[in-house]
Formats: sequence, structure tokens, C-alpha cells
Amino acid sequence: MMRPRWRKVFHDLINNLSRTLLVVFSIAVGVFSIGVIVGAYVIISNDMSQSYSSNHPANVELRTGPFDDSLVSTIQNVRGVNDAEGRTVLSLRARIKGTENWQTLNIIAIEDYSDININLLNIDEGTNQPNNKEAVIERKVLQDMQVKVGQTLELQLENGTIKELPVVGIVQDASTAAGDFIANPFVYITVNTLPYLNEEPLFNRLYVTLAENENDNTHLQTMLTVIRDKTEQSGVSVFHSRFAKTNEHPMASTVQAILGILLALGILILFLSSSLIANTLNALLNQHLRYIGIMKLVGASRNQVLQMYMVLILSFCLIALGIAVPLGGQGAYGLAAFIADQINFALMGYRIVPLALIVQIVVGLAVPLMAGFIPVLNGSKISVVRALSDNQMLEENKPEQVEIKKETFVEKISLRFTKLLSKRNIHIPRPLLISFRNTFRRKGRLILTLFTLTMAGAIFIAVFNVRVTLFDYLDGIADYFMADVTLDFDQPYRVKDITNRVMAIPGVADIEGWAYASAEAINLDESLAENITILAPPSDSTMVTPNLIAGRWLIPGDEKALALSEQIYEDFPDLQPGDKIRIKIYGKKEEWTVVGIFKFVPQEGTFAYGTYEYISKITHQNNRSFSYRIMLENHDKKNQKAMGVVIDDYFQNAGYNVDQVRTGDSTLKSASESLDILITFLLIMAILTAIVGSMGLTGTMGMNVLERTREIGVMRSIGAVDRAIMQTVIIEGMAIGGISWLMGAILSVPITYLLSDIVSLAVFESPIQVIFTTTGFLIWFLVVLILSALASLFPARNAASLTIREVLAYE
Amino acid sequence: MARKSTLIQKDKHPSTQSSEPLINVSDVVKSFKTAGEDFFALNGITFNVYPGEFLGIIGKSGAGKTTLVNMITGVDHLTSGQVSVNTNNRKVSIHHFNEDQLALWRGQNMGVVYQSFQLLPMLSLLENIMLPMDLCGNYSPSQSREKAYELLRMVELEDHAKKLPKFISGGQQQRVSIARALANDPPIIIADEPTGSLDSITADHVFGVFETLKNQGRTILMVTHDKSLSPRFTRTLVIQDGELAHDSQTEAM
Repeated sequence: MMRPRWRKVFHDLINNLSRTLLVVFSIAVGVFSIGVIVGAYVIISNDMSQSYSSNHPANVELRTGPFDDSLVSTIQNVRGVNDAEGRTVLSLRARIKGTENWQTLNIIAIEDYSDININLLNIDEGTNQPNNKEAVIERKVLQDMQVKVGQTLELQLENGTIKELPVVGIVQDASTAAGDFIANPFVYITVNTLPYLNEEPLFNRLYVTLAENENDNTHLQTMLTVIRDKTEQSGVSVFHSRFAKTNEHPMASTVQAILGILLALGILILFLSSSLIANTLNALLNQHLRYIGIMKLVGASRNQVLQMYMVLILSFCLIALGIAVPLGGQGAYGLAAFIADQINFALMGYRIVPLALIVQIVVGLAVPLMAGFIPVLNGSKISVVRALSDNQMLEENKPEQVEIKKETFVEKISLRFTKLLSKRNIHIPRPLLISFRNTFRRKGRLILTLFTLTMAGAIFIAVFNVRVTLFDYLDGIADYFMADVTLDFDQPYRVKDITNRVMAIPGVADIEGWAYASAEAINLDESLAENITILAPPSDSTMVTPNLIAGRWLIPGDEKALALSEQIYEDFPDLQPGDKIRIKIYGKKEEWTVVGIFKFVPQEGTFAYGTYEYISKITHQNNRSFSYRIMLENHDKKNQKAMGVVIDDYFQNAGYNVDQVRTGDSTLKSASESLDILITFLLIMAILTAIVGSMGLTGTMGMNVLERTREIGVMRSIGAVDRAIMQTVIIEGMAIGGISWLMGAILSVPITYLLSDIVSLAVFESPIQVIFTTTGFLIWFLVVLILSALASLFPARNAASLTIREVLAYE
Repeated sequence: MARKSTLIQKDKHPSTQSSEPLINVSDVVKSFKTAGEDFFALNGITFNVYPGEFLGIIGKSGAGKTTLVNMITGVDHLTSGQVSVNTNNRKVSIHHFNEDQLALWRGQNMGVVYQSFQLLPMLSLLENIMLPMDLCGNYSPSQSREKAYELLRMVELEDHAKKLPKFISGGQQQRVSIARALANDPPIIIADEPTGSLDSITADHVFGVFETLKNQGRTILMVTHDKSLSPRFTRTLVIQDGELAHDSQTEAM
């Protein structure tokens, strides 16, 4: 048989289920958050690199002119090379047979799927080895095109004819273009299918893995130079080259930085939940003082009381762990799977993360025990007379009744304020006055509740500010892409011709033909420093508004001049406007002048602008262009999309080889989508803090009502109806909510700066200008008031349901 | 007031009603700080309680009766004076104990009964009675269970052993409270207005339980405001304005 003292602990656990649930959920929320984040952090840190490296990612990738197997054999024989493979990548428009929506896809042709050793394809469905005139799609295709295995893709060739390829499989390619959000989704075919698509069966990509030191940047750089030189010596032009480590996913540092932010918020939630636990346990001990007194009266020592309540807390912990650990494990894997899906890598399967488990157990036991220790210690120290002092035992000479207490500061202010108002004939209704005065009665409890709600509010508001800050920054980046529609052709057309045709379409305001070039920045030792993508608008372009951080923008007459994105600082940290930079462009090594440096989102390679006049000259495309930027009279997204279709149809029908038509924001769509993911996570954390905060308020209001049972009885006996009692409690809760909103609004300012800096450093690698929005403040104001009202509703209903008889029975 | 060198003193002579008092209350003062002058709830009370006595402390509301009981049980601190108790051949000055020592000592030597019963609502009647035995460690769990049943039988509530306090009447709760006071077999029972919240028939029944205990040789000290009960005590003290106004023993002598 259980001993009476442990029986009491057991009863304390189950008799007041709402209190037990409040404490258990307070603990569980913190433990769950930490478990999810630590678990996801460990899974992603491990699986991201492992999955990436297990796919044998290319260490060196060259984008080249056409070549055949002989170059592949040459490179395979280079010392230090493990393997080399040639592939063909071409961009075509595709749609599901029987549908209308075209999507631009990158078609990758591989010679022998049974012998792939680089950038392996993992099967999601069907096969990863298409036969001739069959297609296997990469899973990212599914984001924009709901194609299924067994359906047929229609590909539109340059001459406008349409060819069909049945889809025989869905794969995941975690290596090709890893971390490149802007790349089109991939479709895999055999090289022998290329003639069917009117393409020569030649390669234009070379992928190489190294035999050793494949995670050493210096070695990778050296090997890249060797391979590139060998390729060029074979008479094949190299347009773009890059190297990558085997054991590090290109997105690893960004993802870990984001998880780091989430971890910080998780710790904060834990911290808040611990204050909630302390608050609830404080109240529990207050409610149990009489019982402690009785136990001490019949022989309990302080240690015995301490033990009993610590065991009670331990029981709360164990229940909370029982809920939070399995959920945390699932949540961790869910979060990891979500991130893996977004970044496109495979997880190594569901598992319990020992570190996350240990952290959850330690945190789930240590935090509540520490948070509860002081209240329990104080409770156990109470003397019998104090513990029983609310009872008739001392009613003859209760010290509290005899001693005259001084007014507190808050009471003084409140009384003076009321007097002031009444002098001016303004009378606050008494129930309202009771609500406001009640708010400040339990100061310790109020401080803990306010702390939790304030932090929750500050984070909530800050997340909205950070969201606006990030999107404002992206909007700034969009100034580089101001065109509403981008029209790309498969071959260059005369600018004048295209301009005349486009300007004749109603709703078009302006058009510019842009040039494009790839170049490589070269170090003094001739090694590759950085790939440079050069966009070349006309020098008097109205479709770029650069955000310059040094130097000037391009002007008419600029030749061999570049404006570079700030990413160039990674390779040339001392670069100044006016400096010369060595670049290799169209096979020639030249010195170009850097006229300015502008702000831009980091991406693979450096973005640069040159003038159309000069770039088109060196590319022998004078007065002609592949790519046109079109400005519409109406810039809204719907119109952009509609006009995109109109322009596409117009040029298709006129017999032009249209490669693709993109609406203005499509370039930034992927970037903003990934930011949306981050913001969603931040919001989830903010909502979790809000839940902890409102749970704290519910607990506080519940305790306040319980402690004021007698007062409520008195109010009832002098005529207070249900509504008046409920109003008193709800207004008190809303007053706490209101105060917390004010404090949270103030605190959100430094938190916004802190969070913006951390996020922008993780995502954009540089701090960005913070923007504040009223949205977060207003939403939180409404949320906190609604939460406060709801949190008070249950205790208020309890209060209103008390009868005078019950109030007397309470004693 | 001079402190004694040791908290527990061995009595050289076994106590008897005529020679050695069981409880010695000596010049006890209890005052409370107020904004004006100090308020004296007890002002120099001195008396002895002898083994086997059924002592009634009578006084009006506010006279200081409960404060006096708190001084004797040690649940509140003295301003000055001394309370010593001589049980099991050990004489102790209870206000020299710390809280833990006092709790254990009280659990073993003094059973306390209050007007509001003070039962733990989450424990059954049986468990409430077992609780002092569990906390003081005088009995094994099976012994304490047996003893609790025995006590419930004594107060005629054995059939209700598994019930929670809220499911029995006030008078029954008070009988359970008396049974709990007897759990560790203490030589002294102190009851503060034990019949105060009961109707007259139930009160009489409860009082009868105390009389039975007195007949079994227990020393009982009971506080009441009901003067009509005086004849049923072996001795009465009247407290008035914190002072001892009348001691029936002194008068008899």
C-alpha cells in the first residue's frame, strides 16, 4: 500500500487536472521546442553532408562548348582525377500532354545511366534509368507541374515542333545545382534521345570527382585550373567553372545559421516556460500552505515536505517528458524532412537523436526542478501558525489584522488617480476599479506573467518587423529586375525589330534588349577566383536602379567597365572603384575597370553589369539580342502574367524561337520562397511563445480567482451578478495583456535589430537596414487582448459559478 | 529569560499528578506589534497541567485562548516566558526546539484537534490517520494501517475508512480528527474548540469521545467558549483579556 504522504502527492497530481495539465504543458512546450530544434539540427548537420557526399557530387564542374567522349577520357587520365563524366544540359519548354501551361525545364542528357559515378540520382518513384525517348524527372519539377509517372511530357523544340517523352521515373538529384534556387528543374534523358530533340549528341558539361583531398579548397582550386586548362587545350571553350567540396553541402552554413536562430528562440521558450512553471508552482504552494501546516502539525519535518513537493514536480516532469520526448522526436524529423525537401537532399531515415533525447531529459528535469525549488523551499519553511493563519484558529488575534501595513507605490498611485478623477466628477465603475486594483495585488506573480507575455509579444512583433525588413531588402534587389516581363529567345534577333513589335502590343510601356556574358575573374597566378555573370543593359537603361555601396553606375561610353556585386569582396576584399580586375571573357584575358560596387543577394558566382553597347560588340551581337526586358503600363502581378502569355503567343505565332517568357518577379520568387520558409519558422516559434504566454496568463488568472474566492463570495452577497464577477476577472486579464503589449512593443525594438542582424548575416551575409511595420504591433495587440480575454474566460466562469455556500465551504 | 543549557532534560522523578506537572506554562507573554502600543494577546500566564487532567480553558472570543493553545503546541512563538512539557520521562522546553525538532516532537507527544478538523481533503479517513505515523516513523506501514483501523473502530467510523472527508458529516470528521490526534499514542491531547462548529447533539457525542479518553487516563486540554461545559471538565481555567482570571484548582485549594 502506498504510504499516505505519497498518496497525497499522487492525489495532488490527479485531483486538480487543469493545474497538472498547465504545469505539464508548460514543461512540455519548452522540452518539445528544444527537442525539435536540437534533433533537427543534429539530423540535418549529419544527413545534409552525408547524403550530399553519398551522391558523389562533382568536385569540378565546367560549362563548355560542345565536346565528345575523347575529352572525357583525357580528363579521366589527368593525375588526381577519380572520374569524369560528360553531360548535356539544354533548356526547353515543356508541358504535360493535354495541358496548356508551359514550364521551362533543364534537360540533362546522360550517356549511360547504368554507369553514373557522379551526381547520382536517387529513385523516388519508377526508375532512374530512362531508355531512349523516355524521361525521368527530378522531384523539383513537381513543384510547378503535377506530372506523374506514366504521363507524357511535351517538349517544344527551337523550331516550334513538339516532341513527346513518356515519364518513367521521378528521382532526387541532390548534387546538380545544389543550393542554386534559381536553376530550372531537371529532366533526364539519354544522349541518344538528343537527335530526337534536334540536338547534336555532344556534351556541354563536364563533371569531375577528385581522387584525393576533395575537401581541401587549395587542392580543389589547383585541380580546377588544371582541368580547365586541359579542356581548353583540347579546343573546347570553357564558359563557367566551379569547384565544390565533397563533404559540405553548399547550403550547409546557411541552414545551420537558421537552425541556430531557431535554437536561440527555443531556449527562450524554455526560459519563458520555466518562469511559468515557477509561477504555477508558487501558486500551488500557496494553495497548499494549509496542508503543509497540517502535516507539520502532525509531525512532518521540512525535509519531508520538501521531498513530497519535489517528487510532485518530478512527476510533472516525467509526464511532460512522456508527452514532449516522442512528439519532439517526431517534430525534429518533420522539421528536418521539411528543410531537406526545400534544400533537396535525402534524410538517412527516421531515428531517435541521442543528443536531443539527453538534452530533453536534462532540460525537462532540471528546469522545472530548479524553477520549483525556491517556491517549494519557501513553502516547506513556513511555520504552522502562518500556514494555518487563514483559518479560524487564529481569528482571535491574527497578527495580520493587527499590524498596520503601508500603502504600496502602486496603491498610492491608484488611489490618488481615483481621487483626482472623482474630484473632476469622473467616476470609474467600482467593478472596473476592482479589476485594475486586483491586477497589481500579486506583484511577484504579475511580474512573471508579464515577463512571459512581454517576451512573447516582443518576439511576435519582431518577427513581423524582420519579415518586412527582409522583404524590403528583396524589393531593393528587385530594383535590378524592374522589367515586368522578360522575353528570351533561342537565337538573337534585331533589337529594332523586336522593339517595334513589342511596342505595338497594347499595354507595353517600354522595352530594352540586353546582352549577357559569362566571365571569370582570375588571380595573379592565373587560377580562377570567381565566376562572373555579366548582364548588359543599354547604358541609358531605365530598368535598373542600383543600390551602390561604392563608386558609380555605368555611363554611356564605358568600355571594359564593370559594376560588380559586393560578393566580389570575398575574393578581392581590398577592391576599390577605379581598380583594374583581370577577367577571362570569351577566351581572352583582359583587364577591366571596376567602376562601382553594388549591394545584392549572395549567390553562386558574382553578379556584374556592363554596357550593352560594349558587350554586344565583343559578342558580335551588335544591335541584336537574345534577351529583352519589357516594362508594362500596369505592373501588377496578374497583368504581368496575362501580358506574358500575350507576348509569348504573339512571338510564337509570328514564328520566333521563344525560349521562355518570365514575369518580373520570377527571378526573386525562389529567394522570397526560401525567406518565407524562414519567416514561417520564426512565426511558429513566436506563436509557441504566445501560447506559453497565454498559458501563463490562464494560470495566473486561475490562481487569482482561487485566492479571491472569499472576496467573490462577498461580492456575490452584496449583489454582484454572474456578469459583473466575470467582467471583473476578464478585465483584469485584459489589463495584464494590455500592459504586456506596451512593454512588448518597447522590447520588440532591440529584439528586431538583433534578430534582423542574425538573420541577414545568415542569409545575405551582411547586415541590412531594419524596417519597422505597424502590422506586428497591431496584430499582437489584438492577439494579446483576445488571448487575455480567453485566458481569463475559464477562471471567470469558475468565479461566476461559485455560490456563497461554496465560498464558505472553501474555508 | 535565561536559556536552559539543554533542550531535553531527564526528569529525576517520574511525574505524578500531585508532584510533577505534565505541562508547565510559566509567565507566558505574547504581544503583537501595532501602529500604536503593542497589543498583548497573553500577558504573564502561569499554570501547570497534571497527568490525567481534563482541563477546560474557557473564555470569550478574543480572550487569548487560541493564542495560549498555540504557545502550548509550539505552533507560534512566545514573546517571553516558557512552556515545558514532561513526557516519557523527558522534560523539554518546547520553544527551544527548531521547527523540525518541534514537528517531530509534537507528532509523537501531542495530539492536536481543531474546530475546523484540518483533515487533508485528498486523503481517505484511514490515510489521514496513518499520516502522523508515516511522518514520525514510529510504525511500519502495516502496523500503522492496523492501528488506524483500530482508532477508526474506537470512534465508530471503521465502515467509512476509505471515504474522503468531504463525504462524511462534520461530527464524523471531528471524530476522525480525534483519531488522528491519537495516532502516535501521545500522552497529551490538545483540542481547540473541537465542538465549535457542530450542532449540540453531535457536539455532545464528540465531547463524549474526549471523556472516554480522559477515563482511559489521557491528559486532555480543551479550549472552549461554552461555560456550560465547565462541570464536565476536571479542572477549568478562565482566560480574560490575555490573563488568567480564574483557576478552579486554586479556588478549590
